[in-house]
Amino acid sequence: MMEGDHDRNSFWKKNIKNVPGRPSPKREARSNSSSSKTKPQGSTSFQDFQASVSDAWDLEDDEFCTGLKNTKISKKVSQSAALNVLNTHRSSTETRKSSNENLSDTSTTQIIIPHAELVRISRIPGRPLQMHCANPPQEEDSESKLERFEVILANTLTLQDLCKLSWSGIPVKVRGITWRLLSGYLPTNLERRDGVLERKRQDYWTLVEKYYYAEHDEINRDIQHQISIDVPRMNPTIVLFQQKTVQIMFERILFIWSSRRPASGYVQGINDLVTPFFVVFLQEFIPDNKPFETFTIDKLSEEQRKIIEADSFWCLSKFVDGIQDNYIFAQIGIQKKVLQLEELIRRVDETLHKHLKQHNVSYLQFSFRWLNNLLTRELPLRCTIRLWDTYLSENDCFPTFQLYVCAAFLLYWKDDLMRQRDFQGLLLLLQNLPTQSWTSSQISLLVAEAYKLKVMFADAPNHLACNES
Amino acid sequence: MSSKDDEYDYLFKVVLIGDSGVGKSNLLSRFTRNEFNLESKSTIGVEFATRSIQVDGKTIKAQIWDTAGQERYRAITAAYYRGAVGALLVYDIAKHLTYENVERWLRELRDHADQNIVIMLVGNKSDLRHLRAVLTEEAKAFAERNGLSFIETSALDSTNVDLAFQNILTEIYRIVSQKQIRDPPEGDTIRPQNVEPIDVKPTMNSDSVRKQCCQ
Repeated sequence: MMEGDHDRNSFWKKNIKNVPGRPSPKREARSNSSSSKTKPQGSTSFQDFQASVSDAWDLEDDEFCTGLKNTKISKKVSQSAALNVLNTHRSSTETRKSSNENLSDTSTTQIIIPHAELVRISRIPGRPLQMHCANPPQEEDSESKLERFEVILANTLTLQDLCKLSWSGIPVKVRGITWRLLSGYLPTNLERRDGVLERKRQDYWTLVEKYYYAEHDEINRDIQHQISIDVPRMNPTIVLFQQKTVQIMFERILFIWSSRRPASGYVQGINDLVTPFFVVFLQEFIPDNKPFETFTIDKLSEEQRKIIEADSFWCLSKFVDGIQDNYIFAQIGIQKKVLQLEELIRRVDETLHKHLKQHNVSYLQFSFRWLNNLLTRELPLRCTIRLWDTYLSENDCFPTFQLYVCAAFLLYWKDDLMRQRDFQGLLLLLQNLPTQSWTSSQISLLVAEAYKLKVMFADAPNHLACNES
Repeated sequence: MSSKDDEYDYLFKVVLIGDSGVGKSNLLSRFTRNEFNLESKSTIGVEFATRSIQVDGKTIKAQIWDTAGQERYRAITAAYYRGAVGALLVYDIAKHLTYENVERWLRELRDHADQNIVIMLVGNKSDLRHLRAVLTEEAKAFAERNGLSFIETSALDSTNVDLAFQNILTEIYRIVSQKQIRDPPEGDTIRPQNVEPIDVKPTMNSDSVRKQCCQ
């Protein structure tokens, strides 16, 4: 349990550090060791991008974070901000009775903060955006949303605006370009976009020439062997992925990605993380919004296929860089998150937590796959893509946010889980949650719930912690 | 689940191990649900299923943990070995490498599983006759040398799948009932998150230099 405590502490601290627009410490540490060697051109792109945009977040975030560390008001600030948000929610929803009860206890002591202060707090960068909680994501009229995207994308933009707009879902028509931007792959500066894309795509194909088609040493042979076992069985029910052309594209992407990351190498499940990028970039070339599931990829030109492959590679790389400790030896990143998830559920919903514990269900047994595959195995592919609109909009906060999504996901099934009377029933349900009929509206609810949890708990480590010793 | 499943005389935890792609998940789904998928997704971490069988008029409930074959998952999957009374060590009769790796898997069990675990060597995909790369006799001899039971199965056409599980569960039952040890109640053996590695050193009094190879 000592370890659990330790992890808990570092978790809360990590949350404060993990602010959008700010490279994570992990990333910095890594770039010292390997990426300078492994990413000849690519490693500077994030810095390029930072320099190229007038992104106000960074400065203010740093100020905010150092302030937060050194002053005593930090807790009050975070709690009151959380409270503010919570109140908004409470007025609209009546679902979370237990938290509301607890809340009324704390609110009496915290409510004295002047209104002006609250407004100021609510604008602190790095805080979850107020917008989201004031209007929980709704299925906006797609026409008008598309227009808003088109306006914003046609100019040099700030990532912040794009995140705001994208968080609640991105129209298919602009999803490809938006994902490239959100991944930090495509520069926000309009004039630089074409040049960068051309160069990066070229880079990818140079890597393929140099590594994929080269003589492999034993490690790389192992990687290639494992990839060749996994790729054909990725999505057995979707015709697209049974096509040899598609499988070879995946094999190249995965091989290049893995061989350049000696700390992790290829880990089963990474293949599932390529899939959403692949599909989104493919959809850009599919006419008339036809379903991608049955599309024949050989209908595309070689040029088009090369674009899909290279862009999938780069976006995967950016995306997974933030969660690389999930895939290194012993998968400590995941083990840590499993503990955090358990801690979170214990605080949010003790009934459910006790029910699981009573039947000897451990969180590792079901949430390992959720975290390892970012829920891709638990959701239909179209839902995963919608979920990633939000993940990508969360930017560097995504690894933490994902934890709250997992918590919300577990809580979603509470009633079904409470009905299970034994270990076996619980685990079989948890391994096969019936999401087959889910659509993007369930995902919107899920991320809204996750957002709510994040606001309540991320910066308020004692919130609802009534049974702490 | 159904109340029928709640009643059992013995609960045995069994693990399925072996290289990636040898058909562990399909053996499990064939045994527990009578299902087979030619292209079933790779197992991430560990998956669980269960089925009860009758031996000597007793109901034996098998709690089977299907593990990921990839090396990277070893740290996670090894945690599930604890408390397991049986292991099906699976290789693919059409892929010699998966057979060669059986020794590594045995070492893995020696390091992480209970000392008395009953191990059955399973040559799966016996339907691939024209692609056979591992001779039955060779595997059988290997199993005998190492004190393992042995069977060849095909999850695809169902050959010997039930028999394999039946055999290993019966074998465990004989051992357990001879010892007159009642199995602990449900779930007691399944707490992988609390696993503390137990360092079982062989009580050897002489030089054990050869041990070095196992690190």
